[in-house]
Amino acid sequence: MSKIAHYLRAINAENMKEWRIEWKYKPDFIRQFLEPFVYLFPYFLYGYALLGGRYSSHLKSITGVDDMVAYTFIGYLIMGFLNTACWAMGSSLRKEQWYGTLEAIFVAPVPRWVYVAGMALHSTCHQGLIMVFQAFLITTVFALVFKTTGIFLVLLIVVLMLMGLYGLGIMVAGFTIGMKQWWVISEALSTLITVVTPIAYPLAVLPIFLQKAALFLPTTYGIIGVRHFLLGEKLAISLPLIIFRLIVILVVWLTVGFALFIFMDRYGRKKGILSLY
Amino acid sequence: MLKGLRIDVLIEEVRKSFLILLAYPIEIAFWIISPLLWVIPLVFQGRALIGGLTSSSFGKLAGTTEFIPYVLIGAIVSTYMFSAVWSMGNAFRDETYYGTLEHILSSPTPAVYILVGKGIYNSILSTLFVVVQLLICVFIFGLDITLAKILPIMAFLLLLIVGLYGIGFAAAALTMLIKESYGLLHLFEYILFLFSPIRYPVEVNPITRAISIFIPLTYALIALRGLLLGLKFDFWKNSIILLIIDAVIIPLGLFIFYKIEKRTKKTGTLAHY
Repeated sequence: MSKIAHYLRAINAENMKEWRIEWKYKPDFIRQFLEPFVYLFPYFLYGYALLGGRYSSHLKSITGVDDMVAYTFIGYLIMGFLNTACWAMGSSLRKEQWYGTLEAIFVAPVPRWVYVAGMALHSTCHQGLIMVFQAFLITTVFALVFKTTGIFLVLLIVVLMLMGLYGLGIMVAGFTIGMKQWWVISEALSTLITVVTPIAYPLAVLPIFLQKAALFLPTTYGIIGVRHFLLGEKLAISLPLIIFRLIVILVVWLTVGFALFIFMDRYGRKKGILSLY
Repeated sequence: MLKGLRIDVLIEEVRKSFLILLAYPIEIAFWIISPLLWVIPLVFQGRALIGGLTSSSFGKLAGTTEFIPYVLIGAIVSTYMFSAVWSMGNAFRDETYYGTLEHILSSPTPAVYILVGKGIYNSILSTLFVVVQLLICVFIFGLDITLAKILPIMAFLLLLIVGLYGIGFAAAALTMLIKESYGLLHLFEYILFLFSPIRYPVEVNPITRAISIFIPLTYALIALRGLLLGLKFDFWKNSIILLIIDAVIIPLGLFIFYKIEKRTKKTGTLAHY
């Protein structure tokens, strides 16, 4: 029990340290709140250019939702958590290397994953704040109205999806020990997941092989589940199955993530590549 | 500014940059494939919204109803934008991380040679990526390019590169001053990404249309899409505007660089993180 408390203290210390570092660079801190809009608006503007307006009869016929803005926004909002996994957790060790503090951290009396978990906690809080700000602004500007029944199930789905993404994040952090150029791994993974996940389109428009690939991603279930409750999107997969699959993905991704991280950590120390750039 | 041009310094800078790149071969594959991958969600979004591969509303704004070739060309050309913003912007910041910035700036070679060398390296590299991407589009997506179009395409690409690297010079200088360049470079990227017709015709919104007028990427994309997709465009108007932008932006970029380099040396903040 004292060991767990000890780890939790270390996780929180890492979280607080990261807030302090970010607060030192205030313009960048503010920029992070504006960034989601830069990547979201092209989806909207592209949609407006294609439709000549906001509503799509074709989208309604396949999903039950005709509002392109609301449909895209929910998908994009949920994908914000992918940043937590691929970018914040993935870059955690590489950043320490740049600061020159990686070796000091690695000799601290806590397992290495505790450090990455601290980054996960920080990034989830930070990303959560960004998402609240984003949701407030977009729903106000575009006058979006969501259904609120089933909000607890929405939260459950988001939590399960997030836990699965932590598995991915710890995997990326492990890769960076051996491969160094973490951003290539993060960018490649986040691009592939973004393509396959039905952010601005339903699963039905993907080619069959991508539809099958999408079923292995927590983000797919997260988005279709949340959109079902908030917008009334038709579900191609039943709700109990969505929750069941999210739990399976969570277990598999976390296990694989931890195993890979431990393997890469041992490999890095054995080969003496920890301090290499 | 470039008194007694030292070609050997430029060649050595290019050579050194290629050697560093080859140490991270995964980056090469990434930069070739990624811009094409970023198009895929737009293709799926288009299919979901209109149920096909052509849109009359899109045609009214873009001059072509086929949105896939439109966004493909935007993605390919945006390779130059990312290179100018990120590679040039981080040019000196990377040297700080490597621990070599002080050595470079205290050597008897003027820093502007290093900067131009990095610009040449990034231009060559981006062009190689763009050629491979175009070949992928020709052989996989059936994009039509005739040999007669190659010369004007290259001319417009050259005009674009010069303009974008002018912005890159300023970005490289500002990162020496501000240090935590990430946010600043993102700002450059956001402006270019949102307000130029990379993913959508800027005419869709009055704000994007108004700001796009000041971005060289806008004119280059209009011309390149015109040449590659056979769309109507004013060849001379776009060429002259790009030439004017280049004539302003390159001296301005170099001026900003000189000023900031001098300032950081004077205040002694060069080695700060």
